[in-house]
Amino acid sequence: MMIHRRTLLTTALTLGAMRAFPGLSYAQARPLVFATFTGSWEEAHKAVLVPAFRKANADASIVLDPMLSVDQIAKVNAARANPPIDVMLHDPGPALVAIGQDIVEPFPVEKSTYYKDLITEAQEPMGPAPFFQVVGLTYNPETIKTPPTSWADLWKPEFKGRVGITNLNSTLGTGWLVEVARMHGGSEANVDPGFKALEALKPNLAAVAANPGALATLFQQGQIDISPGNFNAIQILKARGVPVEFVAPKEGAIAFKTTIHVVKNSPNKDLAFKLIEAALSPQVQTTLMNSPYLIVPTNSKVAMGGEIASVLAKDTAELKKKFVFQDWKKINEQRSAWIERFNREIKL
Amino acid sequence: MAASVPRDVTSYSLGLAAPLALFFLVFFVAPLVQLLVLSLHNDTAGAAWGFGQYVHFLTDPFSLSVLGSTLLLGAEVTALCLVLGFPIAWLYHRVGSRAQTLIILIVLLPLLTSVVVRTFAWIVILGRQGIINATLQSIGVIDTPIRLLYTQLGVVLALAQVQMPLMTLPLITALGRIDSNLEDASCSLGAGSWRTFWKVILPLSLPGVIAGCTLTYAAAITAFITQSLVGGGQMLFMPMYLYQQASTLQNWPFASAISIIFLLAVLAVVSVFGLLGRLSRGYGGA
Repeated sequence: MMIHRRTLLTTALTLGAMRAFPGLSYAQARPLVFATFTGSWEEAHKAVLVPAFRKANADASIVLDPMLSVDQIAKVNAARANPPIDVMLHDPGPALVAIGQDIVEPFPVEKSTYYKDLITEAQEPMGPAPFFQVVGLTYNPETIKTPPTSWADLWKPEFKGRVGITNLNSTLGTGWLVEVARMHGGSEANVDPGFKALEALKPNLAAVAANPGALATLFQQGQIDISPGNFNAIQILKARGVPVEFVAPKEGAIAFKTTIHVVKNSPNKDLAFKLIEAALSPQVQTTLMNSPYLIVPTNSKVAMGGEIASVLAKDTAELKKKFVFQDWKKINEQRSAWIERFNREIKL
Repeated sequence: MAASVPRDVTSYSLGLAAPLALFFLVFFVAPLVQLLVLSLHNDTAGAAWGFGQYVHFLTDPFSLSVLGSTLLLGAEVTALCLVLGFPIAWLYHRVGSRAQTLIILIVLLPLLTSVVVRTFAWIVILGRQGIINATLQSIGVIDTPIRLLYTQLGVVLALAQVQMPLMTLPLITALGRIDSNLEDASCSLGAGSWRTFWKVILPLSLPGVIAGCTLTYAAAITAFITQSLVGGGQMLFMPMYLYQQASTLQNWPFASAISIIFLLAVLAVVSVFGLLGRLSRGYGGA
C-alpha cells in the first residue's frame, strides 16, 4: 500500500476538524452519563439510585461511569464544550476545584422538591450533598479489648507498631490530619501541631497506606490493629467476616459531604437534574441507609435506623452534634504544601 | 514520504509500516509533544511560559532524591533478577526436555497472572503475620515479627519476582545461541569451569544480559502498582510522585515536567545499556 500526500492531508484535516468541532463526531442524543465512585458506591448506585431514576423518568437511558473525582475533573476539562459526563460526584476538596474551574452548573434550587428538606450542611447551591462519608476510629476487636474513644488513643504506647494511616493523597488522610491538628490547638489554616503529633506517632506506625482501600485490606492481614477509617469501607470488611469495628471518637467523627453536580454544557441538563432529585429523595436515601449499603442520609425527613442509628446517630440533631465538618476551602489553599511536607517528613 | 522515494525495495516496506507509524504519530508522539508543551508553563492555568517547573525540580533536593531513589531501586531489582535469573537460564540448557518444559512454565507462570494479584500475594507473604514471619516465629528464630512490608527490601523482592520473566527469557535465548562446542573446547584447552564461564559463556551471553537488564530496569522503575502497594504511602518513587502532582493536586505543568525528566533519565540509563551492548558485540567478535 502506498500513502499519498493527498490522502494523508485529507485524513489529517478530517481529524483536525473533528477536534475543532466535536459536535460533528457525536450523534445527537446520548444517554445520561453519571460519574460515580468505584467499589461500594458503584454497587449502591447501580442497585438503588439508577432503578429509582429510571422508574420516575420513563426508563430514560443512563450510563454509570465509575472513576475518582480527580479523574472526572480531568475528563471534563479535556472536553469542556462537549463534556463526556453529565453528573459528577465529588468529595469536598475536588468539589471546590470543579467549582473553581467553572465546570459545574448551579443546582436549580427553586425547581427542586427535596432541596429544602436537606440538613443545612448539605444545602450547597453549586451541588447538594445527597450522602455523607464518615471517618472515625476503626479497630480489630479481637486484639484490642477496650474500644478506643479518642483520636489520642492512637498515640498510646500499647499500640506500638500497630497503627495504620494513609498519606495525604486521600480525603481521608488530609481530613484526619486536620483533626489531629485541631486536637493540639491547630486548625484548617494551621496544621503544624498536626505534623508535630505525626512525628510523635512514628513509633506506633505500622503502615502508611497509599490509599484508603489499601488501608482497609491491612486489617485483613493483621498488619494493623487500629487506624482512622471510613465507616462504609469498614462495613464492607465486616460483612466479609473481618474482625473490625467502627467508633466515632469523642472529638467528633469527621463528616465529608459527597456532593453531586450538573456538569456545565451538559446536553442532558434536564435528566441530570432529575437524577440528582432522585438521589435527594427520602425513598432512595432510606434504602441506601439500610444494610448492606449503610450510606449516611442527608435528607432530614429520613428516620435514622439500623446500624447507622446504633453506631453513628439516632437522628439529624444528634448527627449534627457528633459530626465535625471541615472547611475545605481553607484546606485546599495549602494542601499541596502539606502533601509535600508529608512526603519529606514521614519516612519510617 | 514513501511516494517520493525512487522505486527500490525499501519503498514497499515503508508503505507497510505507515499504518503503525501513523498510529504512533497520533497516539504516542502527539501526546508526548503536548506533554512537553504543558511542562513549559510556569503556572497551573497554563498562561505563563517558562522553564520554572524544571528549575523547581532540578533545584529541589527532595525531588532529586525521589529521582535518585527510583533509579537506584531499578538498579537493585535488575541486579537481583540477573543474579537469580542467570543460573535458571543456564540450567535450562543443561537439563532434559521435560525439565525444560517445567522451567519455562515456572518462568512464564507469573506473566499469566495479573500484577495486582502477584503484588497482593507479596503483601500476604511479607506481612506481620505473613508466611515469612510466621515461619521464623514458629521455629523460634525471632520473637516479634520483623518488618518486611513497607521496606525497600520488600519492594525489591516483590519487583524482582514480578519482573523476573523479562530477565530470564532473553537470557535463555542468548545462552541457547552459544555453541556448546566452545565450552568443550575451553575445557579441553585446560580452563576450569569458572574460567570457562568468565571467559567464554558470560561474554557470549552479554547481548541477552543487556536486553534482559534493559527490560527489567525499565519495568521496575515504572511499576506503579507494586511500588505503591508493597512500598506503602511513605515511600515515594517517581511514578507515585507524578500521580500525586497530576491527580491529587491537579498541577499538570509540574507533573509534565516530572514525566519529561523521568523519561530523559530512563533514556539515559537505557542508552548506557545500549552502549554496553555495542561494546559487548565488539568484544564477542574479537
